[in-house]
Amino acid sequence: MPVDIGNYIALSTVMFFIGVGGVLLRRNPLIMLMSIELMFNAANLLFMAFARAWLANAGQVFAFLVITVAAAEAAIGLAIVVSTFRDEKNVDVDEIRLMRG
Amino acid sequence: MLVLASILLPFVAGGLLFALPRDERNVSRTAGTVVSVAAFFLVLMAGGQEWSFRWLARPFVAAFHFGATPVSFWLALLTALCTACAIATVKLPRTRGFVALMLLLEGSMLGLFLARDLLLFAFFWDVMLIPVFFGLTAWSSRPATAWRYLIYNFSAGLLLLLATAAFGILYGTTDVIGRSGVHVAGGWAPWIFAGFAIAFLVKTPVWPLHTWMPPTYADLPAPMVAVVAAAQSKAGLYGLIAIALALLPAYVQQYSAALIVLGAISLVYGATSALVQHDAKRIVAYSSLSHLGLIAIAIAVGNQLALQGAIVYLVAHGLFSAALFILVGYIEEREGTRSLVRLGGMGRTNPRLAGAFCIACLAALGLPGLAGFVGELIMLTGVYQAGHVWAAIVGLIAVVLASAYFLRLYQGIMNGPEVSDLPVRADLTWLEGLAVAPLLVALLLVGVQPHAILTAIGMVR
Amino acid sequence: MSGGQHAMGVDGSYPLLIALWLLPLGGAILCWAFGPQLKTRAGWVACAAMAASLFLTALSWGAGTQAAGGLLGAHQALLSWIPGSFDFGLLLDPLSLLWALIITGVGFLIHFYSMGYMDGDRAYARFFAYMNFFVFAMLTLVLSDNFVGLLIGWGLVGLASYFLIGFWFDRPSAVAAARKAFVINVVGDVAIMFAIFAIVATVHSTAFGDAFAATGAYGPGLLFAICVGLFVGAAAKSAQIPLHTWLPDAMEGPTPVSALIHAATMVTAGVYLIARCAPLWDASPSAQLLAGSIGGLTAIVGAILGCVQWDIKRILAYSTMSQIGYMIMGVGVGAYAGGVAHFFTHAFFKAQLFLAAGLIIHALANEQDVRRMGGLRTKMPFAFWAILTGVLSICGIPFFSGFFSKDAVIYGALAHGHPWLYAVGIVTAGLTAYYMFRLLFVTFLGSYRGDVDPVELGMRGAALPPAPAAGGHAHAHAPAWIMNAPVGILILPTVAIGAALMAGGEGSPWARYFAPQFAAQTLPPAPISEIATSLIVLLAVAAGFAVAWQRYAAKNAQANAVVRLRDESLRMPALLTNLFYFDAVIDLLFVRTSQLFGTLVARVFDPHVIDGAVRELAEIARSTGTLVRSLETGLLRAYALILAFGAACFIVYYALAAGGLR
Repeated sequence: MPVDIGNYIALSTVMFFIGVGGVLLRRNPLIMLMSIELMFNAANLLFMAFARAWLANAGQVFAFLVITVAAAEAAIGLAIVVSTFRDEKNVDVDEIRLMRG
Repeated sequence: MLVLASILLPFVAGGLLFALPRDERNVSRTAGTVVSVAAFFLVLMAGGQEWSFRWLARPFVAAFHFGATPVSFWLALLTALCTACAIATVKLPRTRGFVALMLLLEGSMLGLFLARDLLLFAFFWDVMLIPVFFGLTAWSSRPATAWRYLIYNFSAGLLLLLATAAFGILYGTTDVIGRSGVHVAGGWAPWIFAGFAIAFLVKTPVWPLHTWMPPTYADLPAPMVAVVAAAQSKAGLYGLIAIALALLPAYVQQYSAALIVLGAISLVYGATSALVQHDAKRIVAYSSLSHLGLIAIAIAVGNQLALQGAIVYLVAHGLFSAALFILVGYIEEREGTRSLVRLGGMGRTNPRLAGAFCIACLAALGLPGLAGFVGELIMLTGVYQAGHVWAAIVGLIAVVLASAYFLRLYQGIMNGPEVSDLPVRADLTWLEGLAVAPLLVALLLVGVQPHAILTAIGMVR
Repeated sequence: MSGGQHAMGVDGSYPLLIALWLLPLGGAILCWAFGPQLKTRAGWVACAAMAASLFLTALSWGAGTQAAGGLLGAHQALLSWIPGSFDFGLLLDPLSLLWALIITGVGFLIHFYSMGYMDGDRAYARFFAYMNFFVFAMLTLVLSDNFVGLLIGWGLVGLASYFLIGFWFDRPSAVAAARKAFVINVVGDVAIMFAIFAIVATVHSTAFGDAFAATGAYGPGLLFAICVGLFVGAAAKSAQIPLHTWLPDAMEGPTPVSALIHAATMVTAGVYLIARCAPLWDASPSAQLLAGSIGGLTAIVGAILGCVQWDIKRILAYSTMSQIGYMIMGVGVGAYAGGVAHFFTHAFFKAQLFLAAGLIIHALANEQDVRRMGGLRTKMPFAFWAILTGVLSICGIPFFSGFFSKDAVIYGALAHGHPWLYAVGIVTAGLTAYYMFRLLFVTFLGSYRGDVDPVELGMRGAALPPAPAAGGHAHAHAPAWIMNAPVGILILPTVAIGAALMAGGEGSPWARYFAPQFAAQTLPPAPISEIATSLIVLLAVAAGFAVAWQRYAAKNAQANAVVRLRDESLRMPALLTNLFYFDAVIDLLFVRTSQLFGTLVARVFDPHVIDGAVRELAEIARSTGTLVRSLETGLLRAYALILAFGAACFIVYYALAAGGLR
């Protein structure tokens, strides 16, 4: 039997805000990246849910796009983290202020 | 197809030059000259052929549409000729890179002049700034000049782009250069005109938007400034004729008084400034300000005679300013300076150089029988005929001043007693002579029989 | 006649004109391109071109003087810039034929003379290239059938003059003189351009025929403006006040150049222009008054300044200026045949004087100061006789050539109703006699002063080395006959051509020659007859001669020559040594002013006002940037918080908006 769309929305919202909290509250960049990933997947879940609900394929296509972008983003993010760690011997995002204007 | 080839050839050749394994001066110089000459003949053979590929349908129609109009045909030929003459004798360090930049400059300017689409025009407008910018950063010691050049001209390019976009949305297509009967009016039109006009006046340049020009011309290496002064400075005036005057004639008429005043100020301003400069290149640079101001007046007046004269003078100014800058480059190579305070008496040991420089200076000061005179005479006759008697008189005063500062330039370098502590170097080599000869011969031909160019007016009217 | 509606010339086509016009150009190109190969043969090439051109011009006599159906002379169409309004063609009518004959004839003699004078110069071939080019340019000027062609010739003769004044271009004084001559001549060029604008704007053509057919179309104001434009052009080329200052300086050029360009031909182009545009002048009495007055003023000022010069060529230069003043006065007031007659005789006697002076300068190794000459009559008898005939002719001694033409001008001024100009002409005649005989006496009488210390002679500046003895040769020369022959040939017209052609008033060959060219004039009878005028002029000349004799040739004057010359040099009033301050005023008003303006705009206005404004813009951009920069803390979580806050704002806004919609 089909699950009600409201459940998906609720789950997605919870996942998204867990992600937001992770980005805002944690200081470890790896955890922050994982939190961002969580937000992406919250969005993906919504795409899939609505695609199923409205029988439209565009949502599924977008989900693939998001997965690709997320992979690229993670690769770059990790590369930045690694190179920063090499220079600074430290991965606390509050200590690293290379981007100060 | 030939049109497209003439534009792509310099780009491709310029790119390929970087593939040369080493910095071989002779190879890159020869290749550059051959490519430019080939581009010249391609433009010549292409004549009025067109090539078009539509690529944008919304929000307005735009196309890769190339093809010479009667006016731009001469300017494209001028570009290719000046580039060939300038490349032929390049003696700078890192020749390969320099020649490659020159070819990119040529390609972008051929693209600009041959573009029949406003969006394409705006695109090449920005592309042609890049080689000059790198020429300034890599071959001169003053990076500030490069940034000043870029900021001024990019701002102009931005205005041009905005005006183009607005035009496209208003009119529905930007594929309009050289098409007759395209007129735009309405609420946005004055703003579109302002965007075009300011962009063109910066590029020309016209007072008070000119302060980027003297340092740029003084700091750029001579072969590149020859092309910039000869061809790139025409982009603005060409735009005024082929875009502002053709698409928005009502506004050119409405603001013609302002344009004439600005042109007249440039005219006197440039001439008197040239009178007191000591740097040979700056003298020629300020003379350009003065001469181009005159053309701006003629275009603003906009009657048949004035436009015919303006087109002849566009070509004439291109020819003699290219020759002057190339020759000043030779002088600087020989004596290591271009200051009139230091130079003197070169004519005794360098008679051929002196002769060529003399012809170029005479053409520039409007000697009857050479190209500059034809343009000045017909232009000013048109200006007078349109009732702008005072503008014509200011133009005549500038002619007198031009004779004073060009003779000062020529005599300061070539005449007088020889300066003993300057190195005495050989006269023009055959190659150097051959490089300026086409420009000087063209000056004479246009001066005696400008008929072919005068018929170019067909496109504007 | 292509394009224009009003044809000129009987023949539609007369190709010989092209040949006689282009021959000198061919000579110039040959000498210029093959100078190193030709060496001294360049002189012969140039002379051959001149001779051929002269021959063809003489051959064209019949074509030039033919008249049929109200048309005069021969015409040959050339190319066209804009058919209908800018057409070019050559026109040979009595006026241009006369000029062409003088240009090629006197020009040929001077070319021939130059082969001796320039012998041994390192730029021998270049000299002949310039000379031939000048002749080509001058022919362009006089043969053109339209204003633009005339202006092209006008500019090109200016260029040739520039090249030849600055021929010895390592002398700073020659270079400066050349530039001055060129720039002042460009002032004239642009004035003519202005006249052309006005003509084209009215009749839509530059052809003489169209421009003259419609004198009524201009309106008096515009017609006056056109005439003023043309007159400024004429004044610049013909050294009329206040545009005369270049002519004395132009004597920096080699002497044959002074003879050909700055005496016989180019400087008389202004006379040609006014005579050519006679229909315009006739229609504008105020322009006639202007031209006549300036001509008269120039005649007398030139004569006064000629009295205080010491350089033999400068004396002749001021005399040229004064004589052209006469010519301009003549054609200006409407006495065209008289003014042109004075051009004609002047071309001979002034060329004669310059070439003879060149003989002296050449023999004395470039000494030009008459104070350092003296006593040359016995050493250079040929030069003495040559200069004497020239002096007699220029002073208007009866039956010499100058007598006929000068009196025609002076009488013409009276006949056309200008008594003041008449008086000026007579006074000037007296002054002319004074300074010409002064030249003759100081140079040829007394004893040779080349070995006297220059300071004792009152010459300022550093002591010059003594000039070599008279007749001494600094270097090997071409045979003397090459220079003497042209001078000898010129003696003939200097003495006799006036009597041959101009004697007999209305029935003279001269009057008949020009009868079809200039519109017949009916004038009220003058209060003083022509014969009486000649007598009055003769009295003035006698007075001038007497003063010169008393000051320089009398027994005691010759004995104390050194002291007298020194006194005269040192006691000269400042107004005269400074040449009435024309140079200083022009320099202050135009040269200094434009230089000051240039310095002001290039050094002050550009960097401080315009760039100052641009810098202000940049400053605004920079301070905005500084403000925004303070937001960039570099703290990653702060960015994230701002992001989240922004997102929250959006959500709240859309939630509210959605609520509002519902």
